[in-house]
Amino acid sequence: MKARNEIKATARLALWTLAWVATLALASFPSLWDSQPVASWAAVAASLAVGIGMIVAHARLLREMDELQRKIMLDALAISLGAGFVGGMAYVVADAADLIAFDADAGMFPVLLGIVYLIAYAVGNLRYR
Amino acid sequence: MKNRLKDLRTERNWTQADLAQRAGVSRQTINAIETGKFDPSLPLAFSLAKLFALRIEELFLDDQ
Repeated sequence: MKARNEIKATARLALWTLAWVATLALASFPSLWDSQPVASWAAVAASLAVGIGMIVAHARLLREMDELQRKIMLDALAISLGAGFVGGMAYVVADAADLIAFDADAGMFPVLLGIVYLIAYAVGNLRYR
Repeated sequence: MKNRLKDLRTERNWTQADLAQRAGVSRQTINAIETGKFDPSLPLAFSLAKLFALRIEELFLDDQ
């Protein structure tokens, strides 16, 4: 029963995540929204709303997981949050000091968080194998 | 935390998957508890003790 609930919650999260990526892609497609700021704002708002749905789905999945899996996921989330803060600030400060050739890009933060989270989650699972 | 989970489980010819299903957790969790890598929460500890008809202190051994 619990395993079935977890599978359903995982599937729901996957669907919300796909929907969020799709709305994000739509909102960031510049040629679609040329000279249409209202439509562009609507696309951004839709992406935000679907993103909130994804966050809620993630929280629900956490509640359905068993305690060890929840611990592994929460540890990975904590590490990725810390890495985001520390790594992100280092990146911004390096840009401000002209230590890097290119301007700091905000789009790097989700990439950094995602990569760190995946590594931390994999390491967590290996640790309790 | 040391425990008698593996011994009690094998006495009943249960696999880790069998015990996991009865306890409502993943096989990974049962393995982690048996190898001492993970200490269960109180509700799970009570649930496991109930499965073996034992008290918690008869199932989990205080390291100190």
